[in-house]
Amino acid sequence: MNHGQQSGEAKQEDDAALTEFLASLMDYTPTIPDDLVEHYLAKSGFQCPDVRLIRLVAVATQKFVADVASDALHHCKARPAPVVKDKKQQKDKRLILTMEDLSKALCEYGVNVKHPEYFADSPSTGIDPATREE
Amino acid sequence: MTNGGNGEGGSQRKKNPSRGNDFPYAVARMAVAQICESVEISTFQESHSREGARFSSFQESALERLTDVMIQYIQSVGKMTQFYANMGGRVEGNGLDIVQALEDLGSGLGFSGGHDVERCLADSGVVKDIIRFTGEVEEVPFVYSLPRFPFNRGKRRAPSFSEIGGEMPDEHIPVWLPAFPGTKMLKEVEESNVEKVEGEVKRKENGLSLPSMQQSVDVDRLKVQKSMDQEDVQEPAEEPEGNPFLAAPVWVSEKNVPPVLCPSEPTNEEVSIGLVPEKQTNKSHHIPPLEAHALPGMINDESRLGGTDDGEKTDSARTQRALLRFKIGTRKASMCWTIKQSLKDKGWFLEDGDKREKKVEREEKLETIDTDVN
Repeated sequence: MNHGQQSGEAKQEDDAALTEFLASLMDYTPTIPDDLVEHYLAKSGFQCPDVRLIRLVAVATQKFVADVASDALHHCKARPAPVVKDKKQQKDKRLILTMEDLSKALCEYGVNVKHPEYFADSPSTGIDPATREE
Repeated sequence: MTNGGNGEGGSQRKKNPSRGNDFPYAVARMAVAQICESVEISTFQESHSREGARFSSFQESALERLTDVMIQYIQSVGKMTQFYANMGGRVEGNGLDIVQALEDLGSGLGFSGGHDVERCLADSGVVKDIIRFTGEVEEVPFVYSLPRFPFNRGKRRAPSFSEIGGEMPDEHIPVWLPAFPGTKMLKEVEESNVEKVEGEVKRKENGLSLPSMQQSVDVDRLKVQKSMDQEDVQEPAEEPEGNPFLAAPVWVSEKNVPPVLCPSEPTNEEVSIGLVPEKQTNKSHHIPPLEAHALPGMINDESRLGGTDDGEKTDSARTQRALLRFKIGTRKASMCWTIKQSLKDKGWFLEDGDKREKKVEREEKLETIDTDVN
């Protein structure tokens, strides 16, 4: 029973934390506009009149995208630099978000965005003619 | 080509709706680009100075893929939230449903406290991560301000009566309504009335969704058209006469139908020719429907011959219900032109109501005229 009471008090505190956070969300403007998030949430069936909940989803999405982008940035930076001619050039490496880095980053999140390595004319291209079925 | 066009239309509908041309997709793309721009990894240099590495540019395909992923993420959160709300017997989701959905989506990577079965949702690691994220990252609001819907196109409204300070044309017109351009310029009244009604509609219904606004504008446009047809200047300023849906129901009762005006009398020749075959066709059986209609036409002519101007009165007098006898028989070739003539003058090109009433009267007279002829 004590444990229950303690957990009850803890719950109240945590509820307060969540409610405080939701209240503080009104001061914080997420990068993703509220209307856009509301549109896509409504598209999937979730309609909520509370702006704070929509901002919560917006912030969560922003965090997700930022995590993916930072992982891609790490991959980009970790790639061995090309042959350096001058010492100055090494520091001026321009970081570009490429599909390679993005697919590696998204793979960890369970999203498979792999590019095919080459495009073939037909499914049987490159197969040994003897085994090809016509 | 037509089939190809249809196929293209169908395939376009089946395509992923988040294409580059879509407005929300474009907005999402900008938001993603902003987020990626703000992502920074700090590297410690030998001189202990932090150097933030940021993305300087993006590959377009990579940006589009990330935008697609973000849109899918938002939709997944919405779907899971609604799912958890429905599981709890609720229609609208609340904050805890969102937290549960986020936990489910983040379970691949894991979050702190995920192992605890009896964890509290509000205390979830996901929420703490988000709180930490908002504390660390600088606030980057969206670059553009999205237009609110419905948006005003900056249409200039006509000044109201009180603004003009002019005289009131009638007592029943409120002062705050836009003023008439003036009774002097009657030609421009119609155009200005349409504009006024539109302005009124936009003022009244600002904030409603587009379909209802369109409906109201259409309804008001219909009313304006009616008023224009009636050439009544006063109508647009008044409220519509009454909602037809709120009107009293019409009671079902007998209606006094005015007698039908018969068309002009045909020549005597038609009638005389029509008389002869009638006697002969008493006993035959099959007749095409065209000629069956012609027969009542013939009969109507005969009845009118007898009564000239009093034809209408005699028709109404003979409305006694009698047994209907249908004459079926073959037709001679000489009857062709008379049939066509009668078809033109009588039943085929009249209005439906008149046609029905005439048919009934003709069928009734069939009996009486047979007796007369015989």
